[in-house]
Amino acid sequence: MAARRIVVTSGKGGVGKTTTTANVGAALAQRGQRVVLVDADIGLRNLDLVLGVEKRIVFDIVEVVEGRCQLRQALIKDKRLENLAILPAAQTRDKTSISELQFAEVINQLAELCDYVLIDCPAGIEHGFRNAIAGAAEAIVVTTPEVSAIRDADRVIGKLRERGLPLRLIVNRIRPEMVRSGDMLSVDDVTDILSAELLGIVPDDPEIIDTTNRGEPIVLQPEARLTAIYQKIARRLEGEIVPFTSLNPPGFLERFFGKAG
Amino acid sequence: MHDVIPQGATDAPPKARGRAIVVTSGKGGVGKTTTTANVGAALAASGAAVVLVDADVGLRNLDIVMGLEARVRHHVLDVLEGLASVDEALVSDKRVPSLKLLAAAQTREKDDVDTAAFRDLIGTLRDRFDYVLIDCPAGIEMGFANAIVAADEAIVVCTPEVSAVRDADRVVGLLGDGRKVQLIVNRVRPEMVRKGKMLSVDDVNAILRLPLLGVIADAPDVIISTNKGEPVALDAASPVGSTYRAIAERISGTRSDEPELPREKSFFEKLFGGR
Repeated sequence: MAARRIVVTSGKGGVGKTTTTANVGAALAQRGQRVVLVDADIGLRNLDLVLGVEKRIVFDIVEVVEGRCQLRQALIKDKRLENLAILPAAQTRDKTSISELQFAEVINQLAELCDYVLIDCPAGIEHGFRNAIAGAAEAIVVTTPEVSAIRDADRVIGKLRERGLPLRLIVNRIRPEMVRSGDMLSVDDVTDILSAELLGIVPDDPEIIDTTNRGEPIVLQPEARLTAIYQKIARRLEGEIVPFTSLNPPGFLERFFGKAG
Repeated sequence: MHDVIPQGATDAPPKARGRAIVVTSGKGGVGKTTTTANVGAALAASGAAVVLVDADVGLRNLDIVMGLEARVRHHVLDVLEGLASVDEALVSDKRVPSLKLLAAAQTREKDDVDTAAFRDLIGTLRDRFDYVLIDCPAGIEMGFANAIVAADEAIVVCTPEVSAVRDADRVVGLLGDGRKVQLIVNRVRPEMVRKGKMLSVDDVNAILRLPLLGVIADAPDVIISTNKGEPVALDAASPVGSTYRAIAERISGTRSDEPELPREKSFFEKLFGGR
């Protein structure tokens, strides 16, 4: 059976597409799914860094398309999760070195090898974006609760709907205390504006900066706060109905006695 | 044959051309638009004539960050395609009259921009303004190529993250040797740097090796001011605002000291909410 092909996109850069791709992919792999992550950001690749495999790259997606190597040769297997692999982007080439058709063909070939193909889309809505969505059958739109990110997400959602791609939303980097003080849009505000179904709510957590810099998906740390959140997103992707974690700031007693997320 | 125009032949001395500076980064979401808005506002508040040009056709945001989205009537492509004059398309800032915005088209594509015409437009603006700040889109595709084509200076914005540094390094290479390139390190959290959980400014610049214009702390008041459409640089009481004003002074040449690093809040400031 062919894999699900999901593009992770946003319009605006820096909202967490790559981090989301890495962690949702790792969480799916932890559940026993065979997962391939594809970096579509040719020229500005970063998924390899976030997964800590940058020194192990031999071939990239452009070389696959140009027939310089076999698809399987270009895949890098994660050392921590045996079900997880990545197809890296080329760093010194342009996004125009692959056509939409070629990109979709690579994704279709990968779909025969695994259960999930997650495509890490570049920022913007240019050629790289068109490539990334060409091979996908569904989409995860990542946004942050900022007016500019929501406006860009709205534009991208319009383009995804034009193509008939079903999509769900991850609202990333919520700061509950700022929502409470009225200084940040709430998740409800965001889903209302975008009128999209919610897949996940991820709080802003400085811990992720450190794990990203070290090339280790945070879901590999069982005790990290975000691990449970990404694992719930993976379960929702698989069709389970999982209640959303309350992000209300912990009350006095909870702060002292701890709280299960 | 050369046309030789003797100096001083005209009645009025020609106005020195304004500086065209592109604000770029490679990676998205590191703060290009916020930097453009705040550096522009700080330069204009000190008396310079400043125009901010949003080069992010299709995903514009500078108008929102400036709080001017309701006043945009025409955009860059209208001007390039002769549907509006430059004056019709410029939006005046509410707070600083010498600050103008030229918005991007929202419902068009970056490929619609004629590179030569865009270059000419920036040239026209340089004749009228002291500073033309160009807010570059993320990535290194067509939108990037257009945004840098007419700029002879660049500000590279980078956050202390390995992915941002790698993208910035790639952009510095693409900017080439013909431009003056300077660095702003954005969203530094001093306490995380101290704990070894975030790259330091020195770590970042060990790779990029660029002259440093300034270091901006990761402060919630930047998010708040962006959502409100009020550049924090115009808030006299904001420490981040004063950092932006110092950056503007380094750009204009009225300041030449080393940029200060954001300092950690003391115990009492944390306790009593001092910002």
